[in-house]
Amino acid sequence: MIVPYNHVLILSGVLFLMGMFCATARRNLIMIVVGLEIMLNAASVAFIGAALRWQHMEGQAIVLFIFAVAATEVSVGLALIVSAYRRTGSVDPGMFK
Amino acid sequence: MTTPPAFDATVLAAVLTSVLPLLAFGVIMIFTRSRERLSAMISIGAISGSLACALFLLVRHWGLAEPILYTGRWVTSGEWTIPVGVLLDPASLLMLTVVTSISFLVQIYSLGYMAGDPGFSRYYGYMSLFAWAMISLTISPTMLQLYIFWELVGLASYLLIGFWYEKYTASQAGKKAFVMTRLGDVAFLLGLLIALLHLGNLNIMELNAPAVTAKMPPAMLTLSAILIFGGVVGKSAQFPLLTWLPDAMEGPTPVSALLHSATMVAAGVYLFARLFPFFSHSETAMSLFLAIGTISMLLASTMAMVSRDIKQVWAYSTISQLGFMIMGLAAGGYFAGIFHLTTHAGFKALLFLCSGVFIHAYGTNDMFDIGRSGGRGLKVPMICITIAAAALAGLPPFSGFFSKEAIMGALAELDNPFWLTAGLAGAFLTAYYTFRLIFVLLFPKSRAHSAHDTEHEDHHGGYSAMAWPLVILAAVTVVLGFGQHGLERFLTGFHQGPVIHLEGGHHEWLLFVAVGVAAAGVILAWIEFGKPGAAQVGFVERIPPLRDLFAERWYIDHFYRWFLDTVIYRGFSRLFTRNDRVVIDGSLDELSRATVETGRLLSNLHLGMIQYKLMVLFVTMILLGIYFFFLG
Repeated sequence: MIVPYNHVLILSGVLFLMGMFCATARRNLIMIVVGLEIMLNAASVAFIGAALRWQHMEGQAIVLFIFAVAATEVSVGLALIVSAYRRTGSVDPGMFK
Repeated sequence: MTTPPAFDATVLAAVLTSVLPLLAFGVIMIFTRSRERLSAMISIGAISGSLACALFLLVRHWGLAEPILYTGRWVTSGEWTIPVGVLLDPASLLMLTVVTSISFLVQIYSLGYMAGDPGFSRYYGYMSLFAWAMISLTISPTMLQLYIFWELVGLASYLLIGFWYEKYTASQAGKKAFVMTRLGDVAFLLGLLIALLHLGNLNIMELNAPAVTAKMPPAMLTLSAILIFGGVVGKSAQFPLLTWLPDAMEGPTPVSALLHSATMVAAGVYLFARLFPFFSHSETAMSLFLAIGTISMLLASTMAMVSRDIKQVWAYSTISQLGFMIMGLAAGGYFAGIFHLTTHAGFKALLFLCSGVFIHAYGTNDMFDIGRSGGRGLKVPMICITIAAAALAGLPPFSGFFSKEAIMGALAELDNPFWLTAGLAGAFLTAYYTFRLIFVLLFPKSRAHSAHDTEHEDHHGGYSAMAWPLVILAAVTVVLGFGQHGLERFLTGFHQGPVIHLEGGHHEWLLFVAVGVAAAGVILAWIEFGKPGAAQVGFVERIPPLRDLFAERWYIDHFYRWFLDTVIYRGFSRLFTRNDRVVIDGSLDELSRATVETGRLLSNLHLGMIQYKLMVLFVTMILLGIYFFFLG
């Protein structure tokens, strides 16, 4: 393994923080969902790195599951956002009081 | 010390004598308040029962060799037990007799004096309470029990002084008596606590035992003695807490008679006599007591010289006579003090009861008015008051002469002749102000109203009820002095500690000096008030500054007023008010405001805003992560 595992973890941590920031700070439902996706991907990166590091297939398997969950989440989430947008004419979560 | 079996006649009588008035108080206050005659009968019945028991005890134990102690357990807590019981020794037996007989006579007298008063039943209820408290105080074997009844005596006197509570001055006087005696009682309690810390209990027998000096360091013993004496100062109205007593005149006259002779103020001197061996371990304390007694005696005598109110004159004379007793006790004359207490109880009660008849008949307290309205027409009280006044002035052969002589003898034993001189000066002043009053009553200047001299005797139905106690007390006053030697043997038979026996005749000159001084006082009073054509203006009243000083009670009350206003109200009260407002109120306000603010802040999380919740979630996770990673 050329890339040391530490670096993989740092990358995944940075990605996770960015996703966190995006999910909490942006006032746009779509960007929140994007933030969630980024956090999921950060976790996936960490799993892939771990699978490589210890030569285990479980990490890659879990990443496949995460893809499925993420795809489902995005489709449901986007559908909800579209529906909310149609009702209120806004994608700002602060407006849904 | 002997402990009789539980159902001995002695114990039974001792318990009965104290419990009967309590029962009367309960019955009167709960059941018979609306039925006046029944209430009075119950109360008088109870006190006569007590009197009978007390006399029985006195006769049975005349000449007893050692004190009788009977105690039971009242409270037990771990190693501690608080006993209650009965202690009978010569001092308590004598005091018991004095208290019950004076209470009995005063209650009989009150039948006439209080007739028709709307609070008649209440009056008798309080009287019973008073009698119960005082009798139980007398026979208490421990200082704790004594202290409890001591406070009850204070309560009862508060109730009786403020008996006519609709009158503003009366309720004020009651309050003043209560508060001022309470000041002394705080010191008393502290003194008891000091003794308790060193001795582990408060049994009077142990306090009085010579072994006490081994258990307490001398400084502590002195401090404790002085603090306990604070209680005596408050109760017996000694300097500097003496101003409540003249104001206590606001109560009904029989109450004053009781208060001044046998109960309230006598409790103080009785306490002194009770703890006499304890006090006499400390030289310093004894000389302080001597000084306080002397100051009170002289101050009060001068106040009495200018007062026009007949009851107030007797009130001042009470303070001064109590000062005498304390002087006698502090000089080491144990018997002299108690003997004077006994004789004083008789003639002071007589003085007040006689004055009560005058006040009842003429509706005024002013001696000049009473004299002018024909006070001397009331034969029985006039004769009795003259006998009592002669006793108070210390003229032979009345009881006051003998007891005052005993005190003078004790004072003469001291090295410093100052105390004896002060005592003689006090005797002179006493004779002067006493006979000033008598002559004013006997020889009024103008007799404008002498027409209805004798009518009054028939107007008041209760006159005979009021006259009989007077005659009995007058007889006692005449006779009691001759019992001196019997009493002395009885009292000092087994007494421990330094006791001066006044047997020796080496003070014969003193006898003549004392009588001469008293006679000089009477003669001066005769020249100024009695002689036909006398101006009836005392020598003190010719000097206005002196008169004002005496009439305003040496400005002691003014000083207290000033002290209260400037130091307490403007100093402490204001400081405490500020503290209350700024620190206590302020901190509570601040605390509640901070709570509300925090709540408001936190409520922002619940706006329904998903991102805030997410943020809280993240923060929590991160903190938990840090916690487990670094500390877990």
